[in-house]
Amino acid sequence: MTNRAEEALRYLGAGRAADGSAAAELRIAVQRMLEQLDHVITPNRLYRLFTLCHDPDGSVLLMDSADQAVLTLTGKLAQIMLHDCHQAALMLSTLGVTFDSLLRTQQARSMADAAILNACGNVLVEEACDQTERELAAQMPDLYLTDRFSPGYGDLPLTLQPTLLRALDANRLAGVYATESCLMNPTKTVTAIVGLSHRPQQAKIRGCAYCSLKETCTIRKDGKRCDSL
Amino acid sequence: MIRFDQGFTLLDGAMGTLLQQNGLTPGMQPEEMNLTAGEAVTAIHRTYVEAGSRIVYTNTFGANARKLAPTGLSPEQVIPAAVRLAKAATKGTDALVALDIGPLGELLEPMGTLTFEEAYALFAQMAKAGAEAGADLAVIETMTDLYEAKAALLAVKENTALPVLVTMSFEATGRTFTGCTLASMAHTLEGLGADAIGINCSLGPVQAAPFIRELARHTSLPLIAKPNAGLPDPADGSYDLTPAQYAQAMLSCAEAGATLLGGCCGTSPDYLRALRDVLVDQQPVDRTNTKSSFVASPTRPLPIDGVRVIGERINPTGKKRLKQALLEDDLDYIASLAVEQMDAGADLLDVNVGLPGVDEVSMLPRVVKKLQSVVPLPLQLDTTNPAALEAALRVYNGKAAVNSVNGSEESLATVLPIVKKYGASVVGLCMDEKGLPATAEERIAIAKRIQTAANAIGIPDEDLWIDCLALTVSAQQDQAAETLKALRTVRYELGLNTVLGVSNISFGLPNRPLITHTFMVQALCCGLTLPIINPNQKELMDAIAAHRVLCGEDAQCSEYVARFAQETSAPAVQTAGQNLSLEESIYRGLKKEAAGAAARLLESGENGMSLVESRLIPSLDKVGTDYESGRLFLPQLLGAAGAAQAVFEQIRTAMSADGSTPVEKGRLIIATVKGDIHDIGKNIVKTVLENYGYRVIDLGRDVPPEIIVQTVQEQHIRLVGLSALMTTTLPAMEETVQQLNALPQPPAIMVGGAVVTLDYAEKLGVYYAADARQAAELTKTILG
Repeated sequence: MTNRAEEALRYLGAGRAADGSAAAELRIAVQRMLEQLDHVITPNRLYRLFTLCHDPDGSVLLMDSADQAVLTLTGKLAQIMLHDCHQAALMLSTLGVTFDSLLRTQQARSMADAAILNACGNVLVEEACDQTERELAAQMPDLYLTDRFSPGYGDLPLTLQPTLLRALDANRLAGVYATESCLMNPTKTVTAIVGLSHRPQQAKIRGCAYCSLKETCTIRKDGKRCDSL
Repeated sequence: MIRFDQGFTLLDGAMGTLLQQNGLTPGMQPEEMNLTAGEAVTAIHRTYVEAGSRIVYTNTFGANARKLAPTGLSPEQVIPAAVRLAKAATKGTDALVALDIGPLGELLEPMGTLTFEEAYALFAQMAKAGAEAGADLAVIETMTDLYEAKAALLAVKENTALPVLVTMSFEATGRTFTGCTLASMAHTLEGLGADAIGINCSLGPVQAAPFIRELARHTSLPLIAKPNAGLPDPADGSYDLTPAQYAQAMLSCAEAGATLLGGCCGTSPDYLRALRDVLVDQQPVDRTNTKSSFVASPTRPLPIDGVRVIGERINPTGKKRLKQALLEDDLDYIASLAVEQMDAGADLLDVNVGLPGVDEVSMLPRVVKKLQSVVPLPLQLDTTNPAALEAALRVYNGKAAVNSVNGSEESLATVLPIVKKYGASVVGLCMDEKGLPATAEERIAIAKRIQTAANAIGIPDEDLWIDCLALTVSAQQDQAAETLKALRTVRYELGLNTVLGVSNISFGLPNRPLITHTFMVQALCCGLTLPIINPNQKELMDAIAAHRVLCGEDAQCSEYVARFAQETSAPAVQTAGQNLSLEESIYRGLKKEAAGAAARLLESGENGMSLVESRLIPSLDKVGTDYESGRLFLPQLLGAAGAAQAVFEQIRTAMSADGSTPVEKGRLIIATVKGDIHDIGKNIVKTVLENYGYRVIDLGRDVPPEIIVQTVQEQHIRLVGLSALMTTTLPAMEETVQQLNALPQPPAIMVGGAVVTLDYAEKLGVYYAADARQAAELTKTILG
């Protein structure tokens, strides 16, 4: 429970001086908001498994049961991450339009609470991804899962998003849309790729080098890292 | 004329999977096959007709101009071809061809950026093409957004004479992805004139049956069940029911009241054949629909089966602050009134924007859209302007109430047809061209006249609410009793719901709340079901809670107990806070205390501007500094801004009272760039800047560069703030900057957002604001 609140505080920039009394007050507000959210939001989760085909040019193809390529992952990140993998899962978690609607209401009520709600939403959607990962691991105890990674990470382009959503049938099954500029709507939606292999994964991607926010991150600016707070 | 109410009618099954078996490849749109593989499409329709389908859906699910764009084809090319192919399959049989209309593939406002009007135009184009090509009827299917379903239904009804079926797709929760309930769907679509409604896609037939039962409780229309072949396997997407299992399970949908039956994803002609076979010895169930009074938003269906509170606050009469907001186009202020009333317990909100200088025909629909984006409560549209009424009903999402029609010939003739067309409930005022009658008997006579006229045009009693009119008791003392007398007859003899604007009663008397309160309780006892009140007046809401206990509406007194249990457990009012200084109140984000302190200072003679300059801004600066150093966090920065806003409200009130000009330190534009839909960052910056005294012209999200340029020119703006969250929308930011720089007198520009960096800003030659605090600092430097 506390971890969730800490995570939300971090989104609010509280990693920088989290010991003050202001942080204590905020922690209570965050905890209350997380409890309320758990009552009204049930994240929608999808995943689907695909066989991988490693192309000689380095790109990785996700094949459906009819052996047709539904998604082609180009770039170094996918190549490195999926190098040892014969299969991959595409996954999606979304808080749905319900969350966006709560956020609009909260902005009309109090911008301060809206910022808290927004941060708590980030926590919920990431938790939902963790949950799917745990389920995958439990279903396939003989396989090893890579770290999950998403379009927008490293050199994996955001422009993959529409095809990725199609491969998951995410519009029909989860009500998720891609806009013309490849953003996902509802806004609290995360897609990710997890590789499956017979050997433990060597490549790790957690860390600032792979993060798309590395240039603007306030935690990093203070000389810290979000994975060591 | 097609009849859907006799026996069962078999629809068809899935199209997509069969197209795949006939050469449809990933990346290709199914509708292209109408032109490239027509024989295969006809063959699929024919297998369904042979399996027993009496209505086949054309291969036009995604044949709207938006989805077809990448193929280079238009609806006018694809749809006539598709209708012809289906007709070829039904030729010589009694099967009908339905123009299939699916969702547009993009979220509508307020969730997405596609407007209701754009959606309507896309659907109208499809409907016209389908009708001209000779489709026998139209089906709107797989909708998850009631707003989109409404746009499509209006488009078909206004542009064709085709009968129209509407089905939506629900999740296991009994709601669609956008939160729409079955009850909201039923009341809204029946009101708008659908010929049959139901569910498709969604889940399997087993899960669909209770949904059909729920729909049957809320509509008398024929019901449609066209579910999937069971539930999908998450790993590979295959469905779990065999044709025989499916057909057997569909009987539960028939027992629940559905008479139009078919299949969706995962089904095939085999499923339809099995369904036909099990239906052979079945008869549709008898449905007795008990009429009920409802209004609704998509997420909140509101039964009028007891006392329901209509919030009166969104009405500019006598409210200076709201007048100012309407004149300044400050819709955020109006939204905050809505949230406040919702939090105070209002069940629906009256919305009146009639004010000299405000164009109601454009303002009322805009306010309706804004309010529906922030509160789930149903709305009561309050206007005397029929054009404004129609414009607002058109864009209202759900089933609205209308305030009002009266007994005059002119009013009945203009208002009732609009109410009927959009399927709203309507308030009938007991007055006519001769004015407001003095006796109860005359008012009842008018109520009856309105009832007759409403029924004649097809508005049932459940949708008619009567207002017996409360007059000021200090001016016409005998009238209070007449109002109550009329109320009793309308409620208990005519059996109609009753509305009353209660507060009018006490004008001109001391201790107004006591008179209002007492009269409301009397009226409730005489059968008032829909009091129009200020829900922020706690005594009134308490009295209603007590009334609901005493008349048995609040079962086990549970709501009453919850209401007052909450009150006793809430912390005692912090009396210590009342004497906090303005500076301290702002720092701690205490709105009420800050407002109180400001009011005291203004009363003691301090002027608004100096209060802002010497107290408010230094306090905000201190908050800003502490935020920067990490002692305070974003919510606290915003909390302080919220308290500052309360101070500004005090200053505005004081100034509109003495007629002086409002505090305004300068104006700027703020916008999220074209293509970007994330706007909380921009809204945070707006909140902070407004509370430094700047007038922020918020152009919203997904704003085209042209709109920003145009606003800069029209309003002589010197500073523009642009936000972008994703790498994919940075090009739009660059384009906007270029267009602004091309102006003869380019404004200063500051940019921000998650992926925007100092380097990037420097490359563009603009200012960089890392956060709201820096945006405020920059604004101070640039605008002073």
